[in-house]
Amino acid sequence: MTLENYNYMHELAERKIRLDQRAEFEGREITIKDNLINYSDGSAYVELGGTKVIAGVKVMNGTPFPDRPNEGALIINFEVSELASNYNEDRINYSIELGRVTDRGIRESNLIDLTKLVIEEGKTVSFVYVDIVCLNNEGNLFDAGNIAALRAILNTKYKIEGKEETFELPLDKSKLAISHTFAKINNTIVFDPTAEEEKAAEARFTIGISEKINSLQKGGDGFFTPEEIDLCVGKAFELREERFKKLMENINN
Amino acid sequence: MYEERFDKRKFDELRPMEAETGIIPNAKGSARFKIGNTEAIAAVYGPEEVKPRHIEKANKGVIVCKYDMLPFSVPDRAKPGMDRRDIEISQVITNALNRAVILEDMPRAMINVRIYITQADAGTRCASLTAASMACADAGLPMRDLIAAVAAGKIGDHVCLDLNKEEEDFHEGGATDVPIGILPSKNEIVLIQLDGKVTREELKEVIEVGKKGAMEIYELEKAALKRRFLNESKS
Repeated sequence: MTLENYNYMHELAERKIRLDQRAEFEGREITIKDNLINYSDGSAYVELGGTKVIAGVKVMNGTPFPDRPNEGALIINFEVSELASNYNEDRINYSIELGRVTDRGIRESNLIDLTKLVIEEGKTVSFVYVDIVCLNNEGNLFDAGNIAALRAILNTKYKIEGKEETFELPLDKSKLAISHTFAKINNTIVFDPTAEEEKAAEARFTIGISEKINSLQKGGDGFFTPEEIDLCVGKAFELREERFKKLMENINN
Repeated sequence: MYEERFDKRKFDELRPMEAETGIIPNAKGSARFKIGNTEAIAAVYGPEEVKPRHIEKANKGVIVCKYDMLPFSVPDRAKPGMDRRDIEISQVITNALNRAVILEDMPRAMINVRIYITQADAGTRCASLTAASMACADAGLPMRDLIAAVAAGKIGDHVCLDLNKEEEDFHEGGATDVPIGILPSKNEIVLIQLDGKVTREELKEVIEVGKKGAMEIYELEKAALKRRFLNESKS
């Protein structure tokens, strides 16, 4: 980002104006397309404004981890692909943070009951692999990836080798940990930042919420005061309703 | 239910701590911070020429920070080198240090921060950050404030300070872990993460308890640094 653009973004932020004319806590439009990927057991393509991500779920048989013999496993991977943006500074580190934060939210909410994924005790369990790929980075990959992953998990129907019937994942739908990301630009906090806003921002704050707060992650070089954190958390609880509705749209029961 | 802590501490009590600086004579600044069975050592090199060149910034310095768990630091054996977890922790520690150190004062320079965990019993990222900020101060870098970091959290129904590994893995009521790093004199939170389940009100309480613990660590950090410079002026 050029210094000119950076200064301009800061000047706008001070007057609480956003380039795309959104209000401070207004999110971009979310578009979801289901099961575009034939070979996955469930998938979702999500557009969050100009950000495009795709998530695919594969459920495979595997040997349980030695310390958890009677549990399946959930493995979430998030790749910031090289084709998504020309902004490649720190791509690998960013990918790792994205993957781990996305994983943490969904795992800590206990959305999937891993104890019900046992096929043969101590020997065979189901591994749920969720792979998220970003196709176009227009900012806020945390939320876009999280929504795509959740929707792909909701869409999942899979077969187990040697069994006839189709299975659904053992989900508790009240425990969808939905991610909400805020950015702080020149001491103004905005929701759902664009790529440009992210570059101008001094800090980022991601909150994963189901019924309770399941994950938090502060990013960027800046800081948040305890009051600002509480403000973001409060806003996130308000904003969750709309995102939850969107996420459950056209999902049976 | 969890009514008494495994190690009999009060719910808002820190584990015994030790802090010292200047333990690695080769480094510009260094520090060791021990809290309970968790121990971190940190060394700071620089400011020096930026390598690789492309990460150089014309208007400020850059911090390159590496957090590594030594193979013998955990009950099993940690694979030597950095894994995905280490890379993420290095990133959040760098973010926090970027706020504490006044990088605008050293354009086109690089500061290397290397952190080893010699013993891990939960709270390693907080111990690392505390050690790293002491090492930066020991190196004489211009800083806004020291960072004091501690993990607070919730076990069962209790808000807890400075969780150990046994508590972090507590399953019955569920354990929530919230590492917090603050600049105490400015009330700025430079590191916060969370995994688990808490409400908005509980989170406020957890941050409050974390801040209280951080103040204690802050005093210890200052005492360790003073000790070092007083000794130096004597000899």
